[in-house]
Amino acid sequence: MIEVKNLVRTFNSGDRTIKPVNDVSFVLEQGTLASIVGKSGSGKSTLLSLLGALDKPTSGDVVVNGVSLAGMPDAKLTEYRRRDIGFVFQQFNLIPNLSAVDNVMLPMEFAGMRKAARQQRAKDLLEQVQLVQDKHDRRINRLSGGEQQRVAIARALANEPKLILADEPTGNLDEQTGDHIISLLSALSRDHNTTILVVTHDRALANKTDRRFRLQQGKLTEEPVRPRAAVPVTA
Amino acid sequence: MSVLARSVGNAFRNKVRTAAVVAVLAVAIGLALAMLVANQAVGAKVQELNASVGTVLTVNPAGGQGFEGGGEPLTTEQATAAAAVPNVSAVVGTSSLRLRNATEAAAQAAAGQTGQGGPGGQGGQGGPGGQAAATLTTSLTAAVDAGTLGNRNQQSNGTTGSGSTTQPMRSLPITATGIGAEVDSTGKALTIAEGAGLGDYTAESTNALLGTTLAEKNNLSIGSTFTINDQAYTVAGLFDAGTSFGNNAVYVTLPTAQALAGTPTELSSMIVTVNSLENVDSTKAALQDALGTDKADVTQGQNLETAVSSLGSVKNISFIAFVAALATAGLIILLIMVMLVRERRREIGVLKAIGAPNRTIGLQFVLEALVLAALGSAAGAVIAAFASSGIASALISTNSTSTTPAATAGRGMPGGVPGGGAGFPGGGQGGNPFGGASQLLTSVTASASPEVIAAGVAAVFGVAIIGALVPALLTARIRPIEVLRGE
Ligand SMILES: Nc1ncnc2c1ncn2[C@@H]1O[C@H](COP(=O)(O)OP(=O)(O)OP(=O)(O)O)[C@@H](O)[C@H]1O
Ligand SMILES: [Mg+2]
Repeated sequence: MIEVKNLVRTFNSGDRTIKPVNDVSFVLEQGTLASIVGKSGSGKSTLLSLLGALDKPTSGDVVVNGVSLAGMPDAKLTEYRRRDIGFVFQQFNLIPNLSAVDNVMLPMEFAGMRKAARQQRAKDLLEQVQLVQDKHDRRINRLSGGEQQRVAIARALANEPKLILADEPTGNLDEQTGDHIISLLSALSRDHNTTILVVTHDRALANKTDRRFRLQQGKLTEEPVRPRAAVPVTA
Repeated sequence: MSVLARSVGNAFRNKVRTAAVVAVLAVAIGLALAMLVANQAVGAKVQELNASVGTVLTVNPAGGQGFEGGGEPLTTEQATAAAAVPNVSAVVGTSSLRLRNATEAAAQAAAGQTGQGGPGGQGGQGGPGGQAAATLTTSLTAAVDAGTLGNRNQQSNGTTGSGSTTQPMRSLPITATGIGAEVDSTGKALTIAEGAGLGDYTAESTNALLGTTLAEKNNLSIGSTFTINDQAYTVAGLFDAGTSFGNNAVYVTLPTAQALAGTPTELSSMIVTVNSLENVDSTKAALQDALGTDKADVTQGQNLETAVSSLGSVKNISFIAFVAALATAGLIILLIMVMLVRERRREIGVLKAIGAPNRTIGLQFVLEALVLAALGSAAGAVIAAFASSGIASALISTNSTSTTPAATAGRGMPGGVPGGGAGFPGGGQGGNPFGGASQLLTSVTASASPEVIAAGVAAVFGVAIIGALVPALLTARIRPIEVLRGE
């Protein structure tokens, strides 16, 4: 469960202050698949980085399973990111000189998993995101945008996080591959009780989530959705 | 994929830059290693020289200068006076004799060459100018061929003595030295290779010590006999002085030599040992006062003082250069790593965002620096292997040039180097009694040992770690939010 309480993040740009996240509060139950939509520059990535402990809020707090991030020392925040969070970046942010497998193995290495085990899991995850075998050992900068995006998703899943924060995870994918990623995420939230928050411009994805938020001028509003049962899921 | 593998991979990420960095590092590291090698080699040499001649003073009769001179010989009373000077731990008198092969001497006498024992004879056992060493006949034949140098020197002796310049010599004279203790004429303990010493060096004896090559040349072994002035002597032991000239010599007890020379109370020189290195200078002055400047000249050891001090400054210079080159290597690594950290800010942010602890990232950068240092050391060691001897000799020759006036003075000092092989116009040996820095060069360059290189490389790694630590610690300050900011 993740509780967001009066979260504010301001930036000073030149002589004026902008507030992409201005007093945002919401609660997500464990296992929820939720989406955030909003115009470009509305502050979606900023909000996600606060939830993922990449950035610190100007004020307000994020409480994960009863533990507040606000008072946590940096070392604990690192551990939180490593163990509890899977982050899919809008710009992928993979390590360009490493292979796809090595990139997926990184979070598991930091978590202290044995090499053989993490190699096996990395290969499985890459299979799950439909990256063909012969591209597993290819260096990241020799993969296409969509392929990189799927490696980034596989990396986010590596340590079986309780919360996945995905910034436009289907932005670079064709409809069919995108649908597959959507069903993969739905399956995770349903079967592994993983909380998933996706930022998306993709209507198909937004329509399949349990809850739907809209971020506008720093404020988060929830939009009504049809019950989840109506969403057809192909596992 | 481990931290180490990532570090190695990162080190080769930009191959052109890596090559450039390694090249620059190699020059700095190569210079550092070469300086360390020079420093160690010179240091070892200085220690060796200090150990051998450090506390020994030599007293020769005053009034001799170069090949000319007169004055009074030293006496046993002066030895007693010298022993009374504070800090003097031992005084050993020597009495030098010059032995000529009896057959040859007869032949030369017939030819009218009689001046061999002339005043200040150049070949006077390297003995003090102005002192006429007694010349006696012997059954022994010298083990050193006269050679060109020997002939030239002996001819000029002949000129001094009789005016005849024509007849070439067939062999060199042999030095017989009467010694008051079991030391050679430079004060160093004799190395007895075979047999025994002479026992009581203050009593007359018919036993003698022969140099190994001299004994060989004359087919003598322990117990064999030979003659000096028709008196038979027994070979009690063979010594090895380490040089062919030094081994072309005979040692007898002091009273024996004095008796042979017919001057029972006279000494050719005194070897004074000072109790510690710090007291050498003050004792030298005190000794000079006690004996009188008009009577005796006190010189330090083999007069290597200047050589030692010039080598000492080479040692200091090379050490400073080593430290400076090492610091340069460290600085290069520091700057390169700072640059890399800045360049990979975003990537470091990514690693933090996916949960890498600060120390893992720091370690990765230190290891990457060590990869560069290892490559630089490998290339630097090759450079050092080729440059070491060149650099060492350049350093030493620069320094010994500056001491040349001193060297020249040393050469003209009364007595030169008593018994010092180089000072004697022996066949084949050079005539520089100073035996200065340039002559030490061969032994200096020879000692570029793997241990020294290993120690140098260890120092380079230490500096590389220090140099990489600062940028590695900088990575701790990079926040994970950097991932959202493109360059
Ligand atoms: N470090 C910063 N300093 C100043 N302004 C910033 C900073 N980071 C983000 N902003 C501003 O905050 C606003 C929100 O940015 P954010 O990246 O969250 O938008 P977004 O909703 O993710 O947009 P998009 O859909 O295009 O990805 C933007 O106007 C951006 O210019
Ligand atoms: Mg964004």
